[in-house]
Amino acid sequence: MTDPCVGMSPRRVGGRDRVTGRQAYVADIHLDDVLHAKLVSLDCARARIITVDTSAALAVPGVRLVMTAADLPQPVPRFGPQFQDRPVLAAGETHYHGEPLAAIAAETKDAAEEATRLVRIEYEELPAVFTIAGALDPMAPLVQDPALRPGDRLARSNVLREHHYGWGDVDAASADVVVEGTYAFPMVTQFAIEPHGFIAAPDSDGIAVWSSIQHPNWLQRVIASLLHLPLAKVRIFAPDPGGGFGGKQHAKYEPLVAFMALRAGRPVRLVLTLEETFQAVRRGASEIHVRSGFRSDGGLVFRDIEANYLIGAYADIADRTVAKGSYTSNGPYRVPAVRIVARSILSHTTPSTAFRGFGNPQQIWAVESNMDEAARALGIDPLALRLQNLAHPGEAFIPGDTPADGDWARTVERAAELIGWGSPPAPGRGRGLAVGLKSGPTTGLSNSIVRLLADGSVIVYAGTSDMGQGARTIFAQIAADELGAPLDWVTVVMGDTAVVPYDQQTSASRSSVFMGNSILLACRDIQAKIRAMAARLEPVDEAAVVVERGEVRIGGRVTPIRDVLVRGLGRLGGELIGIGEMRKEAEPEHPLGGTAAFFEFNCTAVEVEVDRETGDVVVARHVTVSDVGKAMNPIQVRGQDEGAAIMGLGHTLMEHIIHDEAGRIRNLGAIDYRIPTSLDLPLRMESDFVENADGPGPYGAKGMSEGALLCVAPAVAAAVHDATGVRIRDLPLSPERVWRALHDAAESPDAGAPEAIDAR
Amino acid sequence: MTMRQRIELTVNGRIRSVEVAPHHTLLDVLRDDLGLTGTKECCLVGECGACTVLVDDLAVDSCLMLGVEADGASVTTVEGLATGDKLHPLQEAFLETGAAQCGFCIPGQLLAAAALLANDPHPTRAAVEEGLAGNLCRCAGYEQIIEAVVVAARAGASES
Amino acid sequence: MRAFAYERPTTLQGAVALLAEHGSEARLLAGGTDLIIRLRDGSIAPRIVVDLKRIAELDGQIREHDGGLTIGARAVMTDIAADGRIRRDYRALAEAAAVVGSVQIRNRATLAGNICNASPAADTAPALLVYGARVIAAGPAGTRRIPIDAFFVRSGVTTLARGELVTAIELPRPTSRPGSVHLRRTRRRGHDLASVTLACAVRADGVTQLAYGSLGPRPVLVSDETGLLADPTAPELAKMRRLEALFVGASPSPRSMRASPEYRLAMLHVLGLRAVGTAIERLAQGSVPR
Ligand SMILES: Cc1cc2nc3c(=O)[nH]c(=O)nc-3n(C[C@@H](O)[C@@H](O)[C@H](O)COP(=O)(O)OP(=O)(O)OC[C@H]3O[C@@H](n4cnc5c(N)ncnc54)[C@H](O)[C@@H]3O)c2cc1C
Ligand code: FES
Ligand code: FES
Repeated sequence: MTDPCVGMSPRRVGGRDRVTGRQAYVADIHLDDVLHAKLVSLDCARARIITVDTSAALAVPGVRLVMTAADLPQPVPRFGPQFQDRPVLAAGETHYHGEPLAAIAAETKDAAEEATRLVRIEYEELPAVFTIAGALDPMAPLVQDPALRPGDRLARSNVLREHHYGWGDVDAASADVVVEGTYAFPMVTQFAIEPHGFIAAPDSDGIAVWSSIQHPNWLQRVIASLLHLPLAKVRIFAPDPGGGFGGKQHAKYEPLVAFMALRAGRPVRLVLTLEETFQAVRRGASEIHVRSGFRSDGGLVFRDIEANYLIGAYADIADRTVAKGSYTSNGPYRVPAVRIVARSILSHTTPSTAFRGFGNPQQIWAVESNMDEAARALGIDPLALRLQNLAHPGEAFIPGDTPADGDWARTVERAAELIGWGSPPAPGRGRGLAVGLKSGPTTGLSNSIVRLLADGSVIVYAGTSDMGQGARTIFAQIAADELGAPLDWVTVVMGDTAVVPYDQQTSASRSSVFMGNSILLACRDIQAKIRAMAARLEPVDEAAVVVERGEVRIGGRVTPIRDVLVRGLGRLGGELIGIGEMRKEAEPEHPLGGTAAFFEFNCTAVEVEVDRETGDVVVARHVTVSDVGKAMNPIQVRGQDEGAAIMGLGHTLMEHIIHDEAGRIRNLGAIDYRIPTSLDLPLRMESDFVENADGPGPYGAKGMSEGALLCVAPAVAAAVHDATGVRIRDLPLSPERVWRALHDAAESPDAGAPEAIDAR
Repeated sequence: MTMRQRIELTVNGRIRSVEVAPHHTLLDVLRDDLGLTGTKECCLVGECGACTVLVDDLAVDSCLMLGVEADGASVTTVEGLATGDKLHPLQEAFLETGAAQCGFCIPGQLLAAAALLANDPHPTRAAVEEGLAGNLCRCAGYEQIIEAVVVAARAGASES
Repeated sequence: MRAFAYERPTTLQGAVALLAEHGSEARLLAGGTDLIIRLRDGSIAPRIVVDLKRIAELDGQIREHDGGLTIGARAVMTDIAADGRIRRDYRALAEAAAVVGSVQIRNRATLAGNICNASPAADTAPALLVYGARVIAAGPAGTRRIPIDAFFVRSGVTTLARGELVTAIELPRPTSRPGSVHLRRTRRRGHDLASVTLACAVRADGVTQLAYGSLGPRPVLVSDETGLLADPTAPELAKMRRLEALFVGASPSPRSMRASPEYRLAMLHVLGLRAVGTAIERLAQGSVPR
């Protein structure tokens, strides 16, 4: 066999266009005759719209369309991946700062912008809720019209859903030591460097939509159903997103732009500003109460978790993040009794949606912080406490779900070894360690087509979005190995629903596993045809022919697939076509609708320096180790892990959205919403991975793009505690917050002790 | 609407004469008037560096400069880094170390790095961190980006 | 951004005339790193933008005069941070210029723009205050020198008269070469607007000057002539008391989201003490930068 490509780190497929500026992101696509759109919104969180006068805006030279809810079909169409609750444009009432209630389309951006200032809106600001306490207040205004949830007993509250999971009897469990605390996770935003962009163009009998979307096929369904078109008449182009991180999974303003394009009879494009992007997507904030019971030897006997997530004004996929993040919130541990209650709570804020980690980082922040507190309370080393309670490979740690699918202890031990856990940290520094577990996809469907052309070159059709994770490269590597083609003879076609077969979605670190397997199957399909071809050419019985990883073997003789192909296709040439399908069906009885396809597992260990006078936390060393099953492309694995780690440092140390009393985002934009720069890196970053080929993906791979973000915050907070003795249960660990905690601790030495340690 | 003004500037070695609106930034002019979409738009407040170009060999955020200010200037964008089919050593190094993930920040990173190496052909890691601090990468390939700059410096990127 | 007319005068007189003619409808453009942001966010909407970068009499040179330095209105932070004379004799200014934004910002941002913008957080202001800088302004009535302490009024407001513009900033010859330093507090290590920005100069004659910004409507200069702060042997607690007395005027806004007033005040004292310590060391070493 030729040198394998899988497991190596060839240059990124599509990399060249990324370094030459040729990569066309959605905002780079120019259509003739296009109109430029701008959104109109109000400078408050919630308002009753009394009148909208568009006449002055329409009078601006170059303005072709001023769209309001009145111009849409009535009642205003709504959409959403979980609940059909989001209107195409706000009708009657706006529900969050930045929600559009009108949109302009004009010949130039300038004209559109000018017109936005001339839409006259008469409105009445209404009381609104922006915090968990505020939203749960019995007197709180309702975010969602109860009519949207007929028959739902929660419809008259701001609780969208309440989830209950668990096993065993927590109340009957008897523990020697109980440790409890409440841990808060702030609102943070994805901040992909590419702001969201959308284009829609009517064609003779349908519509084409361009979007930097992670799930083109899902978007196709949404548009088709809103416009009452057959799927085949809705063509979605999904140019590679310039970063997605979950924020680009589901439809946002594509439906609006589609309605505008149809009304104008011309293409319409809307590229959001970064500020508008902040107002469009974020992660759910949370307050999570954890109570853990231990035997005095450190064995976990129960866990009791109550989680409140503050989601936004529309559900988007937020409730699913709450469900999925909470379902595994006990973590990778063996615990006989677990009770989990989790609520998604609506508020008059930006709709929260998927964001790398999908509801888990909030839970892991709480539970792993609680584990660290427990270790101190029990007088057991935090590493030893983890190792003692970690589920063994094959252990059913969540009854009824996929058993532990990795040797997680190895990952933890590797991280401990890299940071030098046993040895004391440098003077003045503190160490902390945490683990993170996340359930992979619970259902899935990825179709693919692979064509082996007459000269042995290959075209792969895959509906995955390559938003930086490098899916295109992985797919090309798989096809190259299986069909014996050099990597640069493989083309991967993505991002066009008229050409590429169905893929459910690009999320949950699924693509290497789901689409990867699908492509592997498509290649196997071709290999079967090659086998028949070789048997015919030889001639021998098919049973005597083995086709594997690019080669055809008959007896002791090895021939490249290409040679058989060329001879077999003969004068007419042509090609061989392989079809792949990877599916994981829903399991209606399962609390999440399906078991985990795999688990992502990571251990992060850090060493920090804390400036006690200023509160500055510097991560001196950051070790991140993920269980990846098989690193199909080690450089890309490293890129994903380190990238996720740094993103985790963002919400750990500096990121949070701040609202004013009226529910407006105060730090709207890049000046005051801080994310890590090259000067904010750990002084030393070490990433490593464990490969046991025990995943369900090609060659034993598992999904891996979120793991290294999951437990950064609890690891850093544990290290801050180790360095200073101060326990902080709110993020981010900004200099001011750390300073305040140190300050309070100096004044009252009990501050920072667990809310309750109940030793019986 | 105010009068457009004619400006003449050199873009990637070619003299271009364009009529621009005074309130349009150099970024607008490059992307909309000259069709050079390699330069990216993100924050528009000088924080992210996605719009970085070289103006008379200095790295600047093109979102914070008016197009009219570039009259008479020489501008280098990412499209001007390679020589024909031959990539600039920085571009090679970015590919080699896997520095480009989604790629959206990369044009800006490359130009900031080019400016850095022109001033400091063999920068320390600290100098690279400082030189690229105005270029956000949310894929956070910072480690690989820094590595790429160091690799390119070794390959003599500043001489090309 | 709203449309505006753009003028690029080539003489000072031309610029002054434009300013005089258009009054508040005109805005001067230097590096644009403040101005363009405000044009875009709509907080200002001038009818005309007057670019001062082609004015023959204005340049970005840093010249010596009477043992001091004159910094032209077009001098940018990159050049100020790199200038050997500034690094030697006005080190806090070089340090402040070096932390203004990113490389891209520093390549455009002018010192004159930083002070004319008059943000309370302007990083170069404290350094200019401790060195006793003078602002040279030209206007319809001719040229005048404004002591920097008399230049700042409040956020966004200076004592420049209608039609006046800054042509240069003068740094007087240091009476003795002081030990000086600039320190600040930000929310991350990467560039950020300061929640405390502070410069300190300790002179051989025992006088210590401290100036701070971001703790009130304008940057403030205070001075310790007792010799206590400059005394390397004085106990820290006594110095802290002295700083507390000097900093009584600090009045950080409770409305900022960057930091609370308590934190700003606490950090003012922490940085003050650290700065005094570093300045004393530098004075002893003769203030030679690394
Ligand atoms: C991303 C970013 C980060 C930043 N970080 C910092 C920081 O860390 N610290 C800091 O202090 N600042 C920071 N700034 C602001 C800093 O760049 C500006 O204050 C800069 O120094 C202003 O100079 P300029 O030449 O760009 O001025 P401009 O934006 O051109 O002008 C600023 C104001 O001054 C007026 N003006 C300019 N020149 C003159 C003159 N000669 N006479 C009269 N009026 C004049 C203008 O009309 C305008 O009102 C940052 C800015 C950005 C965008
Ligand atoms: S777009 Fe110019 S710096 Fe962000
Ligand atoms: S590569 Fe995606 S933002 Fe840098």
